[in-house]
Amino acid sequence: MKRFLTLAEYGAGALVALATAIPIHALVHPGWDVALAMLVGGVIGMASHALLGSVLGALIGMFQVMVAGSLIGMYGGMFFAMRDAMQAVSWTQTNAVAIVFGVVVVAGVQLYDRALRSRVGG
Amino acid sequence: MAQGSRSKWDRASRVYDLATQSDEWRYGPAKRRLFEGMRGRCLMLAAGTGGDFGLFPPGLRITAIDISGRMLGRAAPFARAYAGRLDLAQMDAQALAFADARFDTIVSVCTFCSVPDPVRGLRELHRVLAPSGRLLAFEHVRSHLGPIAVMQDLLTPLMRRVGPDLNRDTLGNMARAGFRVLREHNVYLDVVKAIEAVPG
Repeated sequence: MKRFLTLAEYGAGALVALATAIPIHALVHPGWDVALAMLVGGVIGMASHALLGSVLGALIGMFQVMVAGSLIGMYGGMFFAMRDAMQAVSWTQTNAVAIVFGVVVVAGVQLYDRALRSRVGG
Repeated sequence: MAQGSRSKWDRASRVYDLATQSDEWRYGPAKRRLFEGMRGRCLMLAAGTGGDFGLFPPGLRITAIDISGRMLGRAAPFARAYAGRLDLAQMDAQALAFADARFDTIVSVCTFCSVPDPVRGLRELHRVLAPSGRLLAFEHVRSHLGPIAVMQDLLTPLMRRVGPDLNRDTLGNMARAGFRVLREHNVYLDVVKAIEAVPG
């Protein structure tokens, strides 16, 4: 079960990243003001994370989905929007980069969790 | 305030088990280790639907309270199945109907993310806990990690409508209520913690 939940966290991270990157790519195009694009991207990412997180959190773990998902949604949304405002990229690249971004953030959060998981007082 | 909280958790009782199932799988072992410290007359706060009763050591005499009558209704079969004595009572953690120093152990599981005035609730625990007693708390708290804490702050107004606050400073609130933390374990990041505290 533990291994399944760990793998599911990666799947959830990739899903949140896709749900963030796809609407941003559809909306933001080269020529957008980068600052405005990043703002829009952050908002879309937070909304995507909140919607998906409420479902995935119940299945996988509320905090595991919330922490990684919120980082992917907000910061990933800004990054994706900044990229889409500065260069033209294909849908394939958009989706592939989103999946990689989601997986890398989840891996980072899991590593950090291992580093912190210890007695901290007493 | 108590009525609003009661209504919220009555509504939440319908989906509570579904919404927390994966957390039970994840945190069950850590809770079981924390509950090994239960001794003497025990009080459990926020019993919920009774999912944690099976993690208690057998043979104890426990009073489990919750503000929601519907939660307690779902918890009743699990209370009867406990290998010891486990009584249920509907009560607000901010106004406990127990005498001073009544309990040797108090267990709280994800309680002080939801109690409207956590310091008032913790002061009540301080009152009903024996001077030699222990508070065993399994709680989620506001992270000290900037980006995570910001997210917790942003999501709390949304979450508060249907469930707990995500950004409570429960360790600080314990100190403000007169408790001294003996031990603190990070269970997930620095967000989910197992805490052992005594009256200060």
